Amino acid sequence: MPDDPTLVGREGVLGLVRRSVAQVLMVPLERVGPQTALVAELGAESIDFLDLVFHLEQGLGRKIPVARWGSFVDERLAGQELARAITTDVIREFAEREAARD
Amino acid sequence: MGERVAVTGVGVVAPTGIGVDAFCQALRRGRSGTRPITAFACDGLDTRIAAEIDDAAFDPAAFVQPPKLLKLMSRPATFAVAAAAMARSSAGLGPEDVDPDRMGVCLGAGGMGPLDLDLLAVQAMAVLDAAAGQAAPAFDVPSFARAFRARSNPLSMLRGLPNLAAAHVAIQQGARGPNSTVATACTAGTQAIGDAVRTIQRGDADVMLAGGADSMINPVGLLGFSMLGTLSCRNDEAETACRPFDRHRDGFVIGEGAAVIVLERESFARARGAPVWAELAGYSATCDAYRITDERPDGSGPATSIRRCLRDADAAPADVGYVNAHGTGTPMNDRIETQAVKSVFGEATRVPVSSTKSMTGHLLAAAGAVELVACLIALRSGFLPPTINYRTPDPECDLDCVPNVPRPARFDAALSNSFGFGGQHACLMIRRW
Repeated sequence: MPDDPTLVGREGVLGLVRRSVAQVLMVPLERVGPQTALVAELGAESIDFLDLVFHLEQGLGRKIPVARWGSFVDERLAGQELARAITTDVIREFAEREAARD
Repeated sequence: MGERVAVTGVGVVAPTGIGVDAFCQALRRGRSGTRPITAFACDGLDTRIAAEIDDAAFDPAAFVQPPKLLKLMSRPATFAVAAAAMARSSAGLGPEDVDPDRMGVCLGAGGMGPLDLDLLAVQAMAVLDAAAGQAAPAFDVPSFARAFRARSNPLSMLRGLPNLAAAHVAIQQGARGPNSTVATACTAGTQAIGDAVRTIQRGDADVMLAGGADSMINPVGLLGFSMLGTLSCRNDEAETACRPFDRHRDGFVIGEGAAVIVLERESFARARGAPVWAELAGYSATCDAYRITDERPDGSGPATSIRRCLRDADAAPADVGYVNAHGTGTPMNDRIETQAVKSVFGEATRVPVSSTKSMTGHLLAAAGAVELVACLIALRSGFLPPTINYRTPDPECDLDCVPNVPRPARFDAALSNSFGFGGQHACLMIRRW
């Protein structure tokens, strides 16, 4: 789990995704909403997704499997979808770790 | 004999001034751009001075669209993009004025700036990480790879590629014609402009954006040049550290920046009524083929380049009213350059030969481009830029180096010299249009 407790849960991860997108694409945070299309609306190109994943991995303190983010790299990509995928992943890992502890 | 090539626009980002007007003022005032280094703490380095671009006066964001491209730009790439935008604007060359396929870019490039050091830092930290815990630390690739992956942004490498400055200029300017990068170190800016002239002459473009950009003001650049014994160590007299042609010269000062000029085929420039600064009349590029850093003692290397440039311009030595010297301020360069000038212009020559590096520092791959801009300004404004910090004559450098103060002069042609490690020499000549 990430060290930062504010990242726990979908809202927390969505916040991280929005901040990372804004930073990577150098746009104001207000322009990054849950439904914003990164390519069509914010002009993201292929290498921006590499940069985005790097920022997310740094923020989450964990690796994002390439297969998981790679499928989102297309014209329809919205911040929410990536956030949902990451959130699901992080929560599952947390649950598995808690289960192992029991 | 083909068409002439005209210089129609000029852009410059120099330590002494950003934009043609500010740079011209600095040349007129004989102002030094050398200061104690501010980009990073340099305790422990032998040389702690440089001619930096003042970040308070230079905002790259004003020249880059969309802003996110900034993160992919090395510091010199931001200088190049800004200089190209200024040059294009001064040429009055609008988007509809040129077929994008007929406009190209050629830049001299090489180094990375202080802000690009995160890549070096990441590499160094990864080496340390990889060595940690080993009884006898040794470089181990698998450990390094793990540490590097954990720390390094995947885009870092893109900022370090030397050809990307020209790519960024092309993207910003919509230039889809020939695009190349020259990496002949201190000769690169001059050679890039010359190669751009040839590109137009052989019919591959109507317009070329040409020049150079560089920044090696970082610990690696400083240590590297310092360990070669080429840098001035006058840390306590920054503004007067660089003393070309002076008997007590002790090396060059690293500078950073860029200059880009717009070159156009004569008929193209005339058809659109372009403002013309001068004709880019001559170019030469040669090599000493001797030693890596030593020049042939008789100065015949640079002399050959100067002669070939004059021949290319169909000019005689007497036509040249001003020479902008390579003039680094190293003991060897200035002595050999003096011999070379004398062997072409005559033992008793009175042709003025000044080193604007005394003010700007040595901009390395950008030097030749910035110095050609100094020549263009001098030709247009009617003055000779001085060699500042000149105090003690050196019998081995007995040229008229326009000591310390600018001199009013009307002349019709100027020559600019650039010589690089490796023995590469290049010259450009401009002539009144």
